[in-house]
Amino acid sequence: MATDIIVPPLSQTMDSVVLVEWLKAEGDKVAKGEPLFVIETDKANLDIEAPAGGVLRQVWAQPGEAIAVRATIGLIADVGGELPEFERPSARSAAASVAEAAVAALHPLAAATGPMGQPLPPERQARIFASPRARRLAEAEGVPLAELTASGPEGMIVERDVIAYIASKPAPMAITPVARRLAQAAGLEPAALQPARPGARITRADVDVVLARREEVSADGVQWVEVAPIRRTIARRMVASQQAAAEVTLTRDVDATELVELRGQILEELSDGDPRPTYTDILVSIVARQLARHPRANATWDGERIGLYADINVAVAVDTERGLVTPVVRNADTKGLLALTAERAALVRQALDGTIGLDDLTGGTFTITNLGPIGIDAFTPIINPPQTAILGVGRIRPAAAVHNGELCIRQRMFLSLTFDHRIIDGAPAARFLMDIVRLIEKPHLVWL
Amino acid sequence: MAEMSIAEALRQAIREEMARDDRVFCIGEDIGIPGGFGGAFTVTLGLSDEFGRDRVLDTPISEIAIAGVAIGAAIAGMRPIADVQYGDFLFCMMDQIANQAAKMRYMSGGQVSVPMVMRAPVGQTRRGAQHAQSLEAFFTHIPGLKVVAPSTAYDAKGLLKSAVRDENPVLVFEHKLLYGSKGPRSERGALSPVGEVPDEEYLVPIGEGVIRREGKDVTIVGKLLTMYRALQAAEILAEEGIEAEVIDPRTLVPLDKELILASVRKTGRLVIAEEDNLTGGWAAEIAAIVADEGFVWLDAPIKRVSAPDVPAPFSPALDDAYMPNEHKIVAAVKSLL
Repeated sequence: MATDIIVPPLSQTMDSVVLVEWLKAEGDKVAKGEPLFVIETDKANLDIEAPAGGVLRQVWAQPGEAIAVRATIGLIADVGGELPEFERPSARSAAASVAEAAVAALHPLAAATGPMGQPLPPERQARIFASPRARRLAEAEGVPLAELTASGPEGMIVERDVIAYIASKPAPMAITPVARRLAQAAGLEPAALQPARPGARITRADVDVVLARREEVSADGVQWVEVAPIRRTIARRMVASQQAAAEVTLTRDVDATELVELRGQILEELSDGDPRPTYTDILVSIVARQLARHPRANATWDGERIGLYADINVAVAVDTERGLVTPVVRNADTKGLLALTAERAALVRQALDGTIGLDDLTGGTFTITNLGPIGIDAFTPIINPPQTAILGVGRIRPAAAVHNGELCIRQRMFLSLTFDHRIIDGAPAARFLMDIVRLIEKPHLVWL
Repeated sequence: MAEMSIAEALRQAIREEMARDDRVFCIGEDIGIPGGFGGAFTVTLGLSDEFGRDRVLDTPISEIAIAGVAIGAAIAGMRPIADVQYGDFLFCMMDQIANQAAKMRYMSGGQVSVPMVMRAPVGQTRRGAQHAQSLEAFFTHIPGLKVVAPSTAYDAKGLLKSAVRDENPVLVFEHKLLYGSKGPRSERGALSPVGEVPDEEYLVPIGEGVIRREGKDVTIVGKLLTMYRALQAAEILAEEGIEAEVIDPRTLVPLDKELILASVRKTGRLVIAEEDNLTGGWAAEIAAIVADEGFVWLDAPIKRVSAPDVPAPFSPALDDAYMPNEHKIVAAVKSLL
């Protein structure tokens, strides 16, 4: 019995993913639930678990390939079970079929005969047959097997074919298969790539470096930069937000002196090893509590109706090397400040190192974005669809202010609330913002 | 340094060991009778004159008696060298070898050992299916036995002397077409290689193979007679520019598998030639080891050149069809290129 390895549908908006790597090789034993391969989505890199236990019998997708969601990319067979019939052409992506056709065209020998001169069954014609020794050398030298001409017994690619291929290349480049595909996809000339260390193989990271700094200035004087899937997602979502929603931004200058003092007192009381709340953590906690009292700010719109979210899940915008991501603190209104702090810190850490899971990036009902640390006072944040509102937080800075009738220096900050006027009107949105302002200026009221 | 046949080298080994150690004695059928041949293949010729018939014991035609006396004497502290007239007769002794000699040291926790040597001629010589088998694989399969298979005079002497001094039961398989037996005991079609054997004392350690010919294109593993067939095949292949490496394991248990793996790492191709029947043979074990531990170095399937799964023929007309020879090895190598 065999089990198909299917690329799981991860969200309704995702059509394809990039296969980053297989965590098992063909022939390896796998346990059900064990991480089997890694995909890159427009949100994060994800480990996908084996759908069944057995032996990884065959894989059809290679690292670096874009693969369609729900495509079958391999087979897991029972240990010691009979070899399964490999008849999966229809389930496979069109790209894979094209690749196979190309392989078949390149390997008339392989396609022609098998052992004893028998015609190979169709599913075997699609595979590249190469000796273990040839595979080993090809992998080490970054030679794609599909480009080789087979000269070995029974139409098999053998070591000399790999050697001949390498010899035929004017400047053989040591490059990993993934890096090679990325470079080809981006139209990079091999000469443009440099290994990290002299003599080392060129890796994906080396290609990324070149892509990042590539200055391809076209005739119109524009520099075109290749982007990762996440950039396109951000672009799509931002435009969708602007086009679909009726966005209005309210701004309020807030006295944050009490907030600053409160945080100082909290930090004084902490023990070693306790999570240290940031202003963002305190704001998430305050906003979450006010969302409970303003359900329309914690809502969505399906074109006909308003959907009020049962949970209050606050997404926090995080600037990563890959781009903007918004990990979600679930049920933020029910969590104590330290628990919330610990959770948000862990999510941010995972977002920064790219290990965050899709579950932690979806399901937000409201978003907070804090540009204060970068030095921004006020801005017009864009709603993170399908949510209703987003709170932009400005920097806390000392400023001249009138306080209790006297001119003095106070800690001040701007809050910028963008909301979707389809769902909530200006006055209730303003009241929501003012409730937040009140808790910042008088934090003790949080118990009311 | 003297030029010797394998039979002469074996005889010299026995002579030296008997002179060195009073506990060493020979036992077998027709090995010491005055005016006899010195066993079926002349190995013990003259030894009863030198050491007396108390140390070169002739037995009735009873393999069970030979095995029983040899194993019992070894347990009691002697160093018997048992002569099995034809290896095929080892089957008569099977319980005593497999169940007793091989397991005694293990089952007694090392309190009892069986330092016995059993010399057994193997190989097809057109004397019929019960006098022609290559039995090595049966005994490599039994834990507790050491198995050696010398193919040169130098190795025959050095390995036999090591076997006599070993604390474990050692089976020494000798090929009938390699002895170089003279006179009425000579064999038709024998290869009878002669080699230089040092006059001074030396041992060949059990467990070390040798490369008989170096090459880079294919590894051919052969033992006993097929080692020579492999060398002949290598000569033919060399004329076509194919450089074969020929490995003689010399010892089958314990096997010098690193030597074979290192060679396959170099050549990427492996042919194993042996005279035993194909199925479940020793060649299958070598193929399995390399498939298991040297897979990534293989550039082609592993090929075995063995006898087919039929009894050895008496008819000379069938000999070519039965015997693994240099031409079959050449064909196997070419199928991998």
